[in-house]
Amino acid sequence: MLDFINVLAVTAEATPGSGNPAEAIIKTFHVEGPLFIAQVINIVVVLFVLKKFAFGPILAMLEQRRTRIAEGEAKLKHIEKQLADSEATTAAAIAKANDEAVRLINEAKEGAHAFTEQKSQEAISQAQQILTKAEAAAKADRERLSSELKREFGRLVAATTSQVTGKILSAEDQKRINEDALAKVEG
Amino acid sequence: MRFIFSTIIFWILTPLAAFASEEGGSHALPLNAERVFGGVTNSMLMVWAAALLVILFAKVATRQMSLIPAGIQNFAEWLVESLYDFLEGILGAHLVKRTFWFFGGVFILILFTNWIGLLPGVGTIKYGEAPVLRGGNADLNMTAALALIFTGLWFYWALSENGLVGFLKHIFAPKGEFKGFMKVFMIVIFFIVGVIEVFSILLRPVALSFRLFGNIYAGENMLEIMMNLVPKQIAFLPALPFYFLELLVGLIQALVFMLLTSVFLKLICDHGDHHEEAH
Repeated sequence: MLDFINVLAVTAEATPGSGNPAEAIIKTFHVEGPLFIAQVINIVVVLFVLKKFAFGPILAMLEQRRTRIAEGEAKLKHIEKQLADSEATTAAAIAKANDEAVRLINEAKEGAHAFTEQKSQEAISQAQQILTKAEAAAKADRERLSSELKREFGRLVAATTSQVTGKILSAEDQKRINEDALAKVEG
Repeated sequence: MRFIFSTIIFWILTPLAAFASEEGGSHALPLNAERVFGGVTNSMLMVWAAALLVILFAKVATRQMSLIPAGIQNFAEWLVESLYDFLEGILGAHLVKRTFWFFGGVFILILFTNWIGLLPGVGTIKYGEAPVLRGGNADLNMTAALALIFTGLWFYWALSENGLVGFLKHIFAPKGEFKGFMKVFMIVIFFIVGVIEVFSILLRPVALSFRLFGNIYAGENMLEIMMNLVPKQIAFLPALPFYFLELLVGLIQALVFMLLTSVFLKLICDHGDHHEEAH
């Protein structure tokens, strides 16, 4: 303010015949109506052009970019949430599948154990049957052999006796001699 | 600091100016712009050149706008966004949306005008007696036009934001809550302050005009004197350091004009929201 008052004072002094400081300034600095208006028009035109062709598009672009960034951020958050949800769902599904697998494995183990047990029992049973059959067959063979042996032994004894005594033995004699001989052999 | 700087410049420049004056007569720049072609002055030619440059820059920068900026679009966006954010810090989100076109435009125009005024040939190429080109803001018609356009817009924005009653209350009504005698006393005091404020408001365009004009004119004058100190072959040498200073002055003056005008607007449109928030 003081600077301005000084300028007024100096200008008024420097412009003789001019008592009014404003008039002195106008005269000293050649502030002229047409020039002043021309400069006003220049400035207004530049401001208008800048507003229309520079600030408008640039600010719109900045706003558009800001919106896009905000939208991108929102989408990113949404995707992150979706990813977290998906991860949680996947984890739950994996846990469920794991439980199911464990259950199936246990069931399979139990089934296999039961099956093994059943098969073992069956095998044991079969083995016992085979053993019994074998024993029975062996017993039958032994009995058959024994009876054959007895018969052969009896025939030999009867033949020997017949040759030693020189007489033909009756069936009853042969039977009695066989029984005696067998009794002695077995006894 | 400012005082010391001014004193040093004064002591350096005064003998130099005197020396220049003795050597080859007065080389000082005239206070007013001179007519070169018809009614067109040399400073107006510079304003046109600056306006053309600004318009070309705007057109080229926004010719093929892309969401991913590159080259000149990137620079233009940086400039506009920086200015917008800076002004938003002063004016607030609402006012800056309404007024950015003016403050941003004025800053760019003043800056371009100041800087192209430093190009070689400005003030030295002559048509007859007068230089063909002269710094655009070294003409009071230009700076006064800038200041008066702002003043008109200032009244418009102030009235549209506050209403007539709000506008007058803003200037004359007491701020704060008072009771009894203090209330009457404060009404009188604030009325007197309001009258002073009215004078201050009326003088603002003059101060704005002369601040910008004075700084740019002084810079051009200094460069002119410096160049006339030595033979023409090396005339650029003494002025060279001052060109850097003038580049800085050109930027600072554009910034100061924009800053002051935006603060003036903020002062009248400030509803004291932060005070209410504080309470």
